[in-house]
Formats: sequence, C-alpha cells, structure tokens
Amino acid sequence: MDDQELIGLVQKGDEVAFGAIMAAYKDRIVNYLYQFTGDYQKAVELAQETFLRVFFKSKQYRPVAPLSSWIYAIASNLARTEMKRARKFAAVSLDDISAHEVRQKAYAVDPPDSGLIKNLREALDALHPRYRIPVVLKDMEGFSQEEIAQILKKPVGTIKARISRGRSFLRKKLEKALDEGGHPARA
Amino acid sequence: MSEWDIFKNLDTVKAPPDFEQRVMARLSLRRRMERRRQVALRWSMAGSFAALAAAAVLLNVFVFESKGPSAVADRGKGPAPSSAFVERAANESTVPIIETLDYRTEVRGRSSEPETMYLLEQISDTSPRGSDTRRF
Repeated sequence: MDDQELIGLVQKGDEVAFGAIMAAYKDRIVNYLYQFTGDYQKAVELAQETFLRVFFKSKQYRPVAPLSSWIYAIASNLARTEMKRARKFAAVSLDDISAHEVRQKAYAVDPPDSGLIKNLREALDALHPRYRIPVVLKDMEGFSQEEIAQILKKPVGTIKARISRGRSFLRKKLEKALDEGGHPARA
Repeated sequence: MSEWDIFKNLDTVKAPPDFEQRVMARLSLRRRMERRRQVALRWSMAGSFAALAAAAVLLNVFVFESKGPSAVADRGKGPAPSSAFVERAANESTVPIIETLDYRTEVRGRSSEPETMYLLEQISDTSPRGSDTRRF
C-alpha cells in the first residue's frame, strides 16, 4: 500500500494505516528534528507531536505534494516554533554546562575527523533556522530544491539563495575553526 | 562527490523502540479530550441559545407589555400616558381608546388667519318706528 492510500485511510480515522505511516517515517523525522534541535529527547517529543498532527490534520492534506513533504513541513514548523520559544526562554542549567564541558574534553582527544564533525555541528547550531532548515533538508535529508520549496512554501529562488548563504556561513565557520584548531581534515 | 557530503558523517539517531506506543497513547488521550471539548462546546452553544431566548421572552413581558398596546401604537405622536392611568384603565370593564391630541394643530392663532370684512345690506325700506334709516 502506498502513501496516498495510507493517508486516505487515515483521513477516515484508520489507526492501523496511521501506524504504518508512523513506522515508515519515525526514524527519519526523529533524526531530522535531532539535527535541527541537537537534543534527542526534544526531537522525540517533537516527532510525537508531528505524528499526532498528521493524524488530526490528515483531512487538510491534498495529494498535490508527496506525503513525505507534508510530514516534513509539519515537523519543520514545529521545530521552528520550538526554537523561537527556546530563544525566548533561554536558560542554561548546571547539568547542561557540565555535560557540555565533558563533550568538549571528549572532542579534544578524538581524532581530527571527529573534530571536524564537532565543528560542523557547532556551525550548524549557530546557523539561523531560516538557513538551517533548507541546508539540513538538502544536504542531510536529500530533498531537491523544488521539494524544499514545497515543504517551506517559498519560491525555489528563495530556497536556492538560502541554501547558498547557509553553506557559505558554514564554510566560513569551518575555515575559521580549522585555522584556530589546526584540524587538517577538509571536506 | 559534493563537499557537503560531510553532513552524512554527522551522527544519526533513531526513534526509541516504544515510540509508536507512546504516540498511540497520546493519540487516545487527545481523542478523549477532543470528544470532551466537543460535548462542552455543544452544551455551551445550547446554553447560549437558551439564555438568548429567555432574555427575549423577559424583554417582551417586562418592557413591551408594561407600555401597553396603545402606547406602542401612538409612539412618536407625543408623550405616552402615565402607567397609573393605563393600570386604572386596565381595571375597568370598558376598553379606553386613548388618542394623543396635539393642540398646536387644533387651535389656530387669530393673527395667522386673513381678516374678514362683513358687508351689511338693507333688505327692507321700512324701518322700525322711532328709528332712523341709515344708508351704508
């Protein structure tokens, strides 16, 4: 049974079909939200909310775009809202600080490639969501620019510009980190 | 191979094993809440309409009825009769018909009328004895 048939059944309230959709997309959505938030628990929570919205708003789905685009659009909106909320009520606990220090030490003794990944992660965290979402969708999830434009409901030209700017920002950050840290690995 | 394939080296995660059960539990909870919300909405709507109907009935009884039908009919023609008068009239066996009178239209000012000239004509040659006959 393909996605369109499954969502058709979900629109009639079929929980088995909903379970099938969830089984097909849960790992991708959790991973996408994890790359976005950097927090596994938060990513799982947001993914659960994403699937609940898929169920309750299934009647709003129109088969003009693939189901995956629609699910990613819901997840992206939730992630963006969560990031705005987190920025508004930014607070750092002592546990977070100590965990961050432990991670820093672990990265320091890791091989250079891990250092590059760590720098990439930090650069990605510093990237504004406006650019981060298209970059993650393009370079991690493998969507085309047209699909990302559909997901984010923006013109393709805007998406191209945002991906380009996002990558440019990441490149600068990585080069700066390499100059400071002396990691030899380059992408 | 693109330079941005480096992203594929980032650590990936998977959903926890009980992910589906947790979502289904939240789903049934949300459905129950939704059902309760719909029932509450239905009752509140019914209550609102009932309150509106009651307000309309009370308004009809205490506001429009107290003025009396003649007062409503004569609305705009002048001041309404006092409620005491209406109550007294209601106790009587006959039904009084009250019409507001506008004296401004009934009594005309003398100055506003054209002056009248009376012409007196003699209709007999004979005059009563002892009196003079005068010609006008």
